[in-house]
Amino acid sequence: MYSEQELVTTLRRRDPDAFTFLFESYSDKVYRLAAGLLEDDMEAEGVVQESFLRLFERLDRFEGRAKISTWLYRVAYNAAMDRLRQRRPTMMLDFAADDDDIPAPVILADWRDVPERLLTEAEIKAELDKAITALPEKHKAVFILREIEGLSTQETADITGISISAAKVRLHRARLFLRERLAESLAQHA
Amino acid sequence: MTCEELLQYLSDYIDQNLDEELTAAAQEHLATCHNCRVVLDTTQQTISLFREQGKRTIPTLRRQRLFDQLQDAFLQAEADC
Repeated sequence: MYSEQELVTTLRRRDPDAFTFLFESYSDKVYRLAAGLLEDDMEAEGVVQESFLRLFERLDRFEGRAKISTWLYRVAYNAAMDRLRQRRPTMMLDFAADDDDIPAPVILADWRDVPERLLTEAEIKAELDKAITALPEKHKAVFILREIEGLSTQETADITGISISAAKVRLHRARLFLRERLAESLAQHA
Repeated sequence: MTCEELLQYLSDYIDQNLDEELTAAAQEHLATCHNCRVVLDTTQQTISLFREQGKRTIPTLRRQRLFDQLQDAFLQAEADC
């Protein structure tokens, strides 16, 4: 276990144990963000590789203003978004303002016990994957960072380059969108 | 509090970010509005499912390969210094 400063110092000395700690601590986190955005495992691994290599290059100039995890997430987020833009040059359209109305919930059946009662773990995962795949990217990144990675709103805003209030709005929309998607597929069993 | 307002404040209510007055108003509304109660409960369930099941990891074999490649690059940088 290293403190942030110890980790940076030992990484600068190219200590193999520090590298192992870095990889074990952060590779899956960065991968989850990239895989969630790109929906492509190989591309997500490419983003992990790119992010770590970028950190190695910058180690001597790493000033510690951001935590290593925040720095890695931010580099990975930008790399994933670049790859998405290359795939879909018109993607900026998805980044319209957040001030449109919040859609009212449509499905009002209580499906809370359906996953545990009727679905296997693999089936639940498939439903979650299907739901999150449909989520717009700008909401997806915020949802992954806040809910799956457990980061604060401030960290999430720093990583995605948006304001705290925008991060809150996007999280709110993501939660309601995913609730509605899961309701569509699970309420029929309720 | 109306259903529309409850929906607007739902995430702040879940995250316990509302002040006392708004929290009380939300609780009062939720006590009598079945639909908003369902929306709250199923939104919380949605969040729980993703928190519990959303933690995928790099597949084992590819993880080892990635570790090796990055370790080589990391140690190579020392040799280059």
